[in-house]
Amino acid sequence: MNRAIRQLAAALIALYVMLFAALNFWQVNRTEELASEPGNTRALIRQFDTPRGPIITADGVVAARSVQAPGDSDVKFVRTYPTGDLFAHLTGYYTFGLGASQLERTKSGVLTGDTFTQQIRALDNLFGQTNDNSGELRLTVREDMQAVAKFLLGPREGSIVLMEIDTGAVVAMWSYPSFDPNRVADPDYDAAFDYVTELQADERDPLLANAYQQRYMPGSTFKVLTTGAALDAGVIDLESFWEPEREFLPPQTSDPIQNYANSVCGGDLTEVFRRSCNTPFARTALELGPERFEDGIERWGVGDEIPIDLPRAATSTVGDFDDIDEQLPLLAIRGFGQNDDQMVPLHMAMVAATVANDGVMMEPFVVDAELDHDGRVISRTQPEVWKRPISRRTAGILQDLMVEVAERGTASCCIALDDGISVAAKTGTAQLDGPGEPERSHAWIIAYAPAEDPKYAVAVMLKGTTAEISAGTGGRLAGPIAKSMLDAAFDIEPDGVDVDVAPTTEPSE
Amino acid sequence: MAGLITAVAYTLASLGANSEIPARIGPFLGVLLLLVGAAHLGVRLLARGADGTMLPLAVLLHGIGYVMITRLDERLASLQTLWSFVAIAAFVATLFLVQRPTDLARYKWTLFFGGAFLLLLPMVPVLGVDINGARIWVQLGPLSFQPGEFAKIALAIFFAAYLAERRELIAASTWKVGPFRLPEIQYIAPILVAWSFSVLVMVGERDLGSSLLFFTLFVVMMWVATERVSYLVIGFVLFGAAAFVSWRLFDHVQTRVDIWLDPWEDEYGKGFQIVQALYGIGDGGIVGTGLGRGSPDKVPEAQNDFIFAAIGEEMGLVGATTVLMAYLLLIGAGLRTALRTDRTFDKLLATGLTTILGMQAFIIVGGVIKVVPLTGITLPFVSYGGSSLLSNYIALAILLRLSDTSARRLGELPDDPTPRERWAAWRLRRSGPAASDHEQEADDRSPVEVAS
Repeated sequence: MNRAIRQLAAALIALYVMLFAALNFWQVNRTEELASEPGNTRALIRQFDTPRGPIITADGVVAARSVQAPGDSDVKFVRTYPTGDLFAHLTGYYTFGLGASQLERTKSGVLTGDTFTQQIRALDNLFGQTNDNSGELRLTVREDMQAVAKFLLGPREGSIVLMEIDTGAVVAMWSYPSFDPNRVADPDYDAAFDYVTELQADERDPLLANAYQQRYMPGSTFKVLTTGAALDAGVIDLESFWEPEREFLPPQTSDPIQNYANSVCGGDLTEVFRRSCNTPFARTALELGPERFEDGIERWGVGDEIPIDLPRAATSTVGDFDDIDEQLPLLAIRGFGQNDDQMVPLHMAMVAATVANDGVMMEPFVVDAELDHDGRVISRTQPEVWKRPISRRTAGILQDLMVEVAERGTASCCIALDDGISVAAKTGTAQLDGPGEPERSHAWIIAYAPAEDPKYAVAVMLKGTTAEISAGTGGRLAGPIAKSMLDAAFDIEPDGVDVDVAPTTEPSE
Repeated sequence: MAGLITAVAYTLASLGANSEIPARIGPFLGVLLLLVGAAHLGVRLLARGADGTMLPLAVLLHGIGYVMITRLDERLASLQTLWSFVAIAAFVATLFLVQRPTDLARYKWTLFFGGAFLLLLPMVPVLGVDINGARIWVQLGPLSFQPGEFAKIALAIFFAAYLAERRELIAASTWKVGPFRLPEIQYIAPILVAWSFSVLVMVGERDLGSSLLFFTLFVVMMWVATERVSYLVIGFVLFGAAAFVSWRLFDHVQTRVDIWLDPWEDEYGKGFQIVQALYGIGDGGIVGTGLGRGSPDKVPEAQNDFIFAAIGEEMGLVGATTVLMAYLLLIGAGLRTALRTDRTFDKLLATGLTTILGMQAFIIVGGVIKVVPLTGITLPFVSYGGSSLLSNYIALAILLRLSDTSARRLGELPDDPTPRERWAAWRLRRSGPAASDHEQEADDRSPVEVAS
């Protein structure tokens, strides 16, 4: 019988070797495949079981934080957004079933305390009472400024960007329509899913920020870029003069280019810029020619993704230049911001800031600092130069031109600031309708102030979705918004405590 | 040592889950050491010659299981504590009551009918309870237990005793059917009856795991007793046929096989349990997520049949391998006992009990990690459940007794007469010198018979 018992032992060992092999297969070989199965929520649960730090605005308001989950939940914490839709496009959302977006996604490591620095600093927690080493994000964006922007824009589709000129720090960046991240992060998965489905079905794309994830035809605000490129290339200067004309017939076509409202327009550079004539800039673009035009525009960062510390920023464009030699009328039209020109609103704020900043374009950012669980700074965003699109001299000329626009030009109706603070601006009314179509246009303005010692730049864009906006001009529609935005910015005391925030700080829910 | 590991694991589990040293660590350690100490003392006093590895291995498995159950469900853990006391008490009582393995052999028919009774018990309308589709539970007031867990020991003892008596006759195989030479029908009949009865009942109760276990037990014991490979061949052919037929006939068998082949096909339905178990095991990786830091509660029945998945998740490959190694070492110790002893009954019983333990662990672990189709049975010593714990500790006690007896027989220890034998001898001496010639013989027979 002993032989059979030994054989039995061998057989049982063989069975257990099978188990070892299978165990190794699942636990070593297939770990990653299992982890990436869509039904596997373990990694998510682990994330949701650890505390997650808050996202706090520059003026100390909590924009996102974790609270204890209700008792019957799968996880210990749920994410809430006390500011509602106000910071939705910045913080994004952090959900159990629907993933994460924006800062919640890209800065997740800091918020959960997973970065190397935080892990090292949390070593002393081994002996303490807590294992919470979740970090915290400090934004450059102010809750009060964001609220003002929301109030000013109201129910009009569009965006407002307010940024610091010398650093590139974004102070307000509001896009309408927005969404409520609380509803996306609803612990009730079905409710959250329904809400996201509804948002995705909305053709206004509320999940995408108009301010930095969409691009729009810039209209005459684009003349700043064309003028900068032409001044740098030496094609034009302050003495350049264009005969007043009603229309201009570019080569290769019989369809003439007209000025806004079919007016007769001309004069020296200051005058045509102030009055925002179209034909002089069409001529300038042709004079530059496709190569110099494209090169000069690209130096402004058009064609590059905007280097903001938020994911999936859009890229401005001036369209395809492949066959432009046979399509010179298109080049001419692009010279004043129409045809295929499409600018990201944030990018236009950066253009205004670049002019004000003597030709230096800073990288925009919304995260001021990353802090660890004890409030110590892990990293603070250092202002970085992105591009130098124009020379200091050219910037100086553009500054004078934009002050002219604000004081005597297309923006003079509406942009003058309180307390006599000087301001510079350029308006834009981007005509979207083709011949014979109902009038439709975006209303733009870019501005900075104070003109002599620039501090803030602003870009306001109203989408041409309503008859009211389409009938108006950038100066009349967007101008007052830019003025109020800048006024509000200058109402803030230097130490960050606001004394008298304009119309209202209460976001209308 | 095993007690110490358990204590550390318990503390770690609580640390991982609540990040604090468990408040009840003092009482826990006390109870733990008390239990382990009692079991150890029981072995030292009652079975000094027994293999020294078996109890620590069992306690290690028990401890890992207990920590895991505590981590999964505090309420069940306190019940499991109670069951641990009962099981250890039963362990010591078994060692005390069964002083000679032959004591068991004498009750083989009692055990045969007892086993049959136990198997039938859940079928009784009022007593039997359906839990998770299998009717293997008996409910008596607040107490519920699985009689099948005890029936398997009873049947192992019966097979061992019967085969030990008749193995030559069965092996002689004078009855020819085609190429096979089968034993005379009257010798094999009781075994066939016992086996087919248990398998049929288990199939009736939809307890596939236990059916498989009984089947394996039967085939292995026949094979070991007769040393005829034909029994293995016949056994596997029969098994194949039975498996095929039941696959064709029973929906729930088909479902099990489908889930085994591709659990992802119905990931959120029938395959949910095994898919979640695999996610957990995969998530554990080599060193595991750490006790208290995984989410094994995603797996239904994690404290029970699927406790191996919880161990694989939180203790990783290392912990899961430790558990499997512990079973392998237990199997080794059990079969070593079978090899060492020179008595046929002891050999067969040790083989049978070891086979039950080894196969039961294999069937459920293999089911959890998708090596074999999943059939719900408990993981011996580890899973939550009083019946399982109790029966496994009783089986362990019998194995230890077998090991102890063989050590004494080999002269490694003085083969002191047991108190009962002493008493019987004393009675004999009292009853007159005439009986003293038969003293040696009387030792091997029932003291009750002698006394009557």
